[in-house]
Amino acid sequence: MAKKINVFLFFIVVLGFPMAYFVMPKADKSNSEKRKLATFPSFNSEAYLAGTWTKQVDEYIDDHFPFRTNFISSTDYFHAAKGFQLKHSERVVVLPKKQPKLQVESGDSTKNQMAFLDEFEEKYAGSMLIIDGCVYPMGGGSPAMSKYFAEMVNEYARTFNGVRVFSAVAPLSSAFIPVEKYAHYNSQNKRTLLAIKNNLKDGAIFCDVFGELNEHSNTKLYFGTDHHWKPLGAYYGYVAFCKAAGLEAVPLDKMNKKVKYNFLGTMYQHTQDPTVRAHPDTMEYWVPKVQTEAVKFGPYNTDKPSKTKVFYESSSGGNTYSTFLGGDEPLIRIQTGIKNGKKAVVIKNSMGNAFAVYLVNHYQEIWVVDLRYSKQNLTKIIKENNINDIVFAVGMYAAMSKGTIGMMRRLTTQSGIYVPPTNPEVQEPNVESTPHVDSTDME
Amino acid sequence: MVFSSLTFLYLFLPLSLLFHYSTKNDLFRNIFLTIFSLVFYAWAEPMWIFLMVFTALFDYSTGLYIEKKRGTPWAKVGLIASIVVNIGLLVAYKYGGFIYDNLNYWFPLPFDRPQNSLPVGISFYTFMVISYVVDIYRGEIKAQRNPLNFLMFISLFQHLVAGPIVRYSQISEQVEKRSIDWSRLSDGVTRFCVGLFKKVAIANVAGVLVDKYLDTQLYALSSYEGWFGIVMFSIQLYFDFSGYSDMAIGLAKLFGFDFHENFKHPYAAISVGDFYRRWHISLGRFFRDYVYIPLGGNRKYQDRNILIVWFLTGFWHGANWNFALWGTYFGVLMVLEKHLKFILDKTPRFLKHGYTLVLIVFSRAIFYFVDFNQLSYFVGNLFYSKHAVNPGFLSDITTHVFWFILVIVLCIPWDEIYAQDHPFRNRIAMRYAYVRPVANAFLLVISTMLLVNATFNPFLYTRF
Repeated sequence: MAKKINVFLFFIVVLGFPMAYFVMPKADKSNSEKRKLATFPSFNSEAYLAGTWTKQVDEYIDDHFPFRTNFISSTDYFHAAKGFQLKHSERVVVLPKKQPKLQVESGDSTKNQMAFLDEFEEKYAGSMLIIDGCVYPMGGGSPAMSKYFAEMVNEYARTFNGVRVFSAVAPLSSAFIPVEKYAHYNSQNKRTLLAIKNNLKDGAIFCDVFGELNEHSNTKLYFGTDHHWKPLGAYYGYVAFCKAAGLEAVPLDKMNKKVKYNFLGTMYQHTQDPTVRAHPDTMEYWVPKVQTEAVKFGPYNTDKPSKTKVFYESSSGGNTYSTFLGGDEPLIRIQTGIKNGKKAVVIKNSMGNAFAVYLVNHYQEIWVVDLRYSKQNLTKIIKENNINDIVFAVGMYAAMSKGTIGMMRRLTTQSGIYVPPTNPEVQEPNVESTPHVDSTDME
Repeated sequence: MVFSSLTFLYLFLPLSLLFHYSTKNDLFRNIFLTIFSLVFYAWAEPMWIFLMVFTALFDYSTGLYIEKKRGTPWAKVGLIASIVVNIGLLVAYKYGGFIYDNLNYWFPLPFDRPQNSLPVGISFYTFMVISYVVDIYRGEIKAQRNPLNFLMFISLFQHLVAGPIVRYSQISEQVEKRSIDWSRLSDGVTRFCVGLFKKVAIANVAGVLVDKYLDTQLYALSSYEGWFGIVMFSIQLYFDFSGYSDMAIGLAKLFGFDFHENFKHPYAAISVGDFYRRWHISLGRFFRDYVYIPLGGNRKYQDRNILIVWFLTGFWHGANWNFALWGTYFGVLMVLEKHLKFILDKTPRFLKHGYTLVLIVFSRAIFYFVDFNQLSYFVGNLFYSKHAVNPGFLSDITTHVFWFILVIVLCIPWDEIYAQDHPFRNRIAMRYAYVRPVANAFLLVISTMLLVNATFNPFLYTRF
């Protein structure tokens, strides 16, 4: 009898899950992983012979397995049961090298392909240090690489004579690991960023973001579960910029403070570490008391803008960092109630999102350009809008990668169509929907 | 397709079982099983299926020919032709690039390096067909008359991509007709669930640590971490391959076949020779019966025969010199053990066990590193490293400590300690008979949970 039960139970499991697939509702995206789920591939003999069709079927089954989300979250219990974590123990996890998904969503193809060009992505496929549930990259950049970034900034300064060009590169969170033996990452970050300063010329202006953050290193400036800086870290980056630009930074208490809880960001998604999960981030952020109107454009042209917002209050969970500008859009124009005629361009990766929102305190118009996704000709934008200041607000890895430096350089020459968006037919998006954040976008 | 994938577990397996048990007609069952096996093979390698089918049909014909000509010189001609063609295909597709590289190093060749990928399972099914034709030549088995049955025997998805190397003589009757009984089905379920768990919850977990210590941090390893890394690789290799073999044996039982055992708790061995009587048994027996004994076995030139067999065993694992070195390492150890038997016989059992484990674990380094520069650097670091222990090493140990205990428990040869009719074993079997179904279902669900959250994780031995 026991033998029959053994066989029947086995059959119930191997037949039960496929049957559950047919009766359960289907999802097309995973909010926790911040990505779209695979769709079932249409069959063609070429794809089959190349072995890609079967791989896509595997991906589809993996992505749509019944109770998938529950299974993924339950995995933590298995990993926790393997042993025990010492208090204040340090742990190193190795993130596997990413493999691009075979299935590329048509609307996001540009983003995916661009993101994979970023050497930063490859560098993130390495060792991560986990201390007390906070994840830190191990490293602090390379002073030798800094000159390539500085040369690119100098080119902007030479090309756009009369426009002030600022370098505001954010250090890595490794600079502020609260353990003495990792102090060398602090000095390594410092040396890397100072090397940018030493190589800037032609009027390009250095913002001492590291120095400003370092003065406040006793507070938590970076997320523990995400690779971005916290809004407070971005604020000190903004203070450093103001000092370099001769502006007076708006004090935090002159802005509206808000809080979001239970943020498990990219570092958790990639490490899946139970101790990280046990320490979700709380995000305090500050909304300037300035009236703003923002529109976003597609990667290739500016003739079909749609409304967007500087702050997406509805972003939550894994998308909490998308509170700022709704995540990474190729190009955003923000117009403010500050009628001083000043205009700025912020060239950024996602690190710059939390930074750019503070600039609404000082400029009438701000163009936020994503260095990876915008295909528009930045030269035309700068000249036709009489831009006063250009700010490079990027995380350090973007400044360390020849791939991303090349992208920033190409912004001025690429051939996207610029149409002055003076009277746009604004398309109203569903602003309460969760903004899409590309899972491959790590910075 | 791999056994440890959701596609296999919840699409392929239920469909193949449903079709197989939808009829009691043996012909239809064999047709279904052959079709499913070909689909299984073609899932990853659609093109190489033609090579596998050609091999099967060629050796089906050769087998008939040898049987027909038995007792005449033409039988030997048929045998030699079969071996030349099969070994020729294996050499061409598995070792072509390797041979090219070595020849080209000394004599630049006027043509390009072969670029083909390794046909999955070629090392395994080539040895199966060789054993088939040799056994016919020796008069030990009768040739299969039905080409469909022979194609099914060669292409059975249960053993196709990574063995065990099943001899035709072992399942010749079951190829024709299979009786299904609850006992075999139940054993199959248990073996399959245990094998899957070994792969997913032990081998894959060890694999993460292997990648970390033997790959990412290779050039910054302390000696402790180096040893830790190859111990993890030893665990990964054993649980990966024995897990696969358990699944293969279990799947075979689910379809009415009885494959022979491929592993018998190798890490309990008390000598290197003993180890290889417990590890990948079907390969060891192939070399014993078709190479070692024909060379003279222990009757003449035994040392030479041992070294030849182990050199070939090494090369069978891969087209690289490190595998030849690895095989030779074991050949030399076997010869030494033979000549030092009088010392080993007087050595306490725990010392013999310890020395065997150290030599086996050390050999994993030769097996792992195909690059000799990396190998020499790593081996040097095992004995002296200027690097301090990396941060996180202690944490890797504490966070896996219960898992290590489970690994040790699973390495202990309980079925040898409590043999078939041991009273304790019988008592447990009686008392906990109804625990087994629940435990199997639990292992299956746990493994599924881990697979849902995993990336592609092929079995290590499919690359050989």
